[in-house]
Amino acid sequence: MYQDFLPIIIFIVLAAVLIGVPLGLQHLLSPRKNKGGDKLISYECGELPEGSAWVKFNIRFYVIALVFLIFDVEIVFLFPWAVVFQDLGLLAFIEAFIFVLILLVGYVYVWAKGDLDWVKMNVRYGKGRYANLQSKGETS
Amino acid sequence: MAENLFIIIAALVIASAFWVVFSPNLIHSAVSLIFTLFSTAGLYIFLYADFIAATQVVIYVGGILVLIIFGVMLTNSIDTPSIAASSKNQFIGGMGALTIFVIQVAVIFNTPWHIGTEQSRDSTVASIGNLLLNEYLLPFEIISILLLAALMGAALLSRRT
Amino acid sequence: MSNLSSLSFYIPELIIIIAILLVIVLDVIPVCKKYTFPLSLGAILLASVFLWQSYGESHGLFMGMISIDPFSHFFKMIFLLSTFSIILISRYEKQLDSNYSAEYNALLLIVLLGMFLMSSSINLIMIYLSIELVSIPSYILAGMLKNDKESNEASLKYVIFGSFASGLMLFGLSILYGITGSTDIGVVTAALQAIEYPLSIYFPLILILVGFGYKISMVPFHFWTPDVYEGAPTPITAFLSVAPKAAGFAILIRVFYTMFTLEGSVSATLPLTNINWPTLIAVASAVTMTLGNLLAVQQEDVKRLLAYSTISHVGFMLMAFAIISPDAVRAIMLYLFIYLFMNLSAFYMAIFASNKLNAHHINDWDGLSRKNPVLCAFMALTLISLTGLPPTAGFVGKFYIFAELFKHQQFYWLAVVAILNSVVSLYYYFKIIKSMYLVDVEGEVNKIEAHPVVNWSIILFSAQNILFFIYWEPLIGFIEKSINLWSG
Repeated sequence: MYQDFLPIIIFIVLAAVLIGVPLGLQHLLSPRKNKGGDKLISYECGELPEGSAWVKFNIRFYVIALVFLIFDVEIVFLFPWAVVFQDLGLLAFIEAFIFVLILLVGYVYVWAKGDLDWVKMNVRYGKGRYANLQSKGETS
Repeated sequence: MAENLFIIIAALVIASAFWVVFSPNLIHSAVSLIFTLFSTAGLYIFLYADFIAATQVVIYVGGILVLIIFGVMLTNSIDTPSIAASSKNQFIGGMGALTIFVIQVAVIFNTPWHIGTEQSRDSTVASIGNLLLNEYLLPFEIISILLLAALMGAALLSRRT
Repeated sequence: MSNLSSLSFYIPELIIIIAILLVIVLDVIPVCKKYTFPLSLGAILLASVFLWQSYGESHGLFMGMISIDPFSHFFKMIFLLSTFSIILISRYEKQLDSNYSAEYNALLLIVLLGMFLMSSSINLIMIYLSIELVSIPSYILAGMLKNDKESNEASLKYVIFGSFASGLMLFGLSILYGITGSTDIGVVTAALQAIEYPLSIYFPLILILVGFGYKISMVPFHFWTPDVYEGAPTPITAFLSVAPKAAGFAILIRVFYTMFTLEGSVSATLPLTNINWPTLIAVASAVTMTLGNLLAVQQEDVKRLLAYSTISHVGFMLMAFAIISPDAVRAIMLYLFIYLFMNLSAFYMAIFASNKLNAHHINDWDGLSRKNPVLCAFMALTLISLTGLPPTAGFVGKFYIFAELFKHQQFYWLAVVAILNSVVSLYYYFKIIKSMYLVDVEGEVNKIEAHPVVNWSIILFSAQNILFFIYWEPLIGFIEKSINLWSG
């Protein structure tokens, strides 16, 4: 069975080599002097960068990653079931159905409460015929 | 050949775990955790547990580590992260770790571990599936409720209102 | 027993699972959101009805994963009662956001399901899973007050410590699996009798004790208790101080009295040869009691004081746990049952004081006896019962635990420590009584009425202290019938 994983080892070694060899080559072939200074400023199409590159990003990425992780675990549990369920009959199908159903309730909850909305808007129009228009949610 | 590969992978696990703990840069710690988890998946392959290795990569590296990196990037002082313990705690911590290490080595070498029957070297996914749906059905269903609780809690706590 | 035929014995848990799903679904539909509260209460009542009907049977369900027996039945009644009471009283607590009441109830029901499984688990995987099922919603519930910094801190500390303890426990469980090749407790028990190298049993035993000790806040795994209890909303503090501790004791008794004893069943009297874990537990018990009491003496905040007093009560129960005998199990179960009522009524009084008076320090409780004499009288009764003075039920509980020590003639030094600790606890419990009764408040004193639900909860739960002092014999008889674990 080890032979099945040989492609993975080759892949990893090849990836390391493909990154390491160019870096090593450029270290050997680059000029020794005149490194640093203006050449190390990050390239932004000619403009000088101001401020730090580390910006604090929005928390919605984290929430989506969290929800993804939980459904990822669910999928991992469905893999072995998918391999064997045809031999085990209706009972296995119903058991997995219950498993998915419980997580479906969770999915409905997260969807309906608006945690999956990427943009949360609360737009209010001024006067005119859109004066009473309101969408749900809060500003973000 | 397999033994040498095992030594390389085990050394990679330990070295990257070491770097996770002792690196002064938080992002370096998170990235070397990737190496640790990948190498642990390699160790699982040596135990012929292919499904567990794949699960390790998919969930740990693909999910949990992404979350860790997101969490690290959400911290405030990301430019100058520094997490070194003071020297007094390091000594006591090191002594404690050494004690536990000695105890564990003693346990590992002196316990009469259970030697099971010889298993077939096929893919384990089918046998895990069979176990999951027959003997271990109740844990299978209870895990779904656990995931539901985690989902609700995550959504609840990270909501703005 | 096969999976399909186990379902007919699994009805209370099924009712709770369906209730969880329905509560979440009804929460999503805005029209039906107001039905989530009666639904959760109704589900608990229905589950307890079905539970009473099936008392006395003893089966191993789902191919040896859980066991339904009178032992688990007793603990399930404790869980149902405490969850019902907490759900009822949380509705009238001012701190909690009523927008999240449905999620709150759903999470409490999930903890209830986890505790049911904790008291019935007989498989290593099920032990770990049920402890996680109790812990994870508790982490969320402790952090339910989203705008309160202390609540966030409490939840964060609970998560970090709890995950660490669970990880160590899992390591211990995996070592046990490695020794025996099976995850069933019966097989592990049989295999552990034959191991000669003591460290290979000590090591997993201590690791598993980390996980269980964390749940019951045994020293030195108690560090989460004061911060979490102070920061969490008060109904959750009350719940955490009663129900998961009872579940932790249930699983401690089941696991330790079967796996690590010579006879391998709950009627054992000796630990495994060369593994002297009762002494370890005795020392831990002494330290727990002492630490809990010493730290409670310095407290000025009522919730934190009650939290530390919880730790000392756990130390008391561990004293009986160190003696391996069915009588000790009986004493622990009796004490847990009485402790449920005492602790819940004390916390409900704290809820009343913080709701109406915004009172957190003991000084804020000054003159409370003139503002609401009835409730203060019952609170005084509860505090006397917590100390263990006659004529209250707390005295009966403490008496049985002391009787165990003297009957089995072990750990006399522990009895001395316990008596000294009871005397110390007298001091801080009476600090509250003194503040309520003996400190005068200038100015006019208005009568403060509690909400009827809070009022009658305090009165009913506190009255059990007198009730069980008079009628403890039927209770002991019921407990003795319940010490009947399914095995084999």
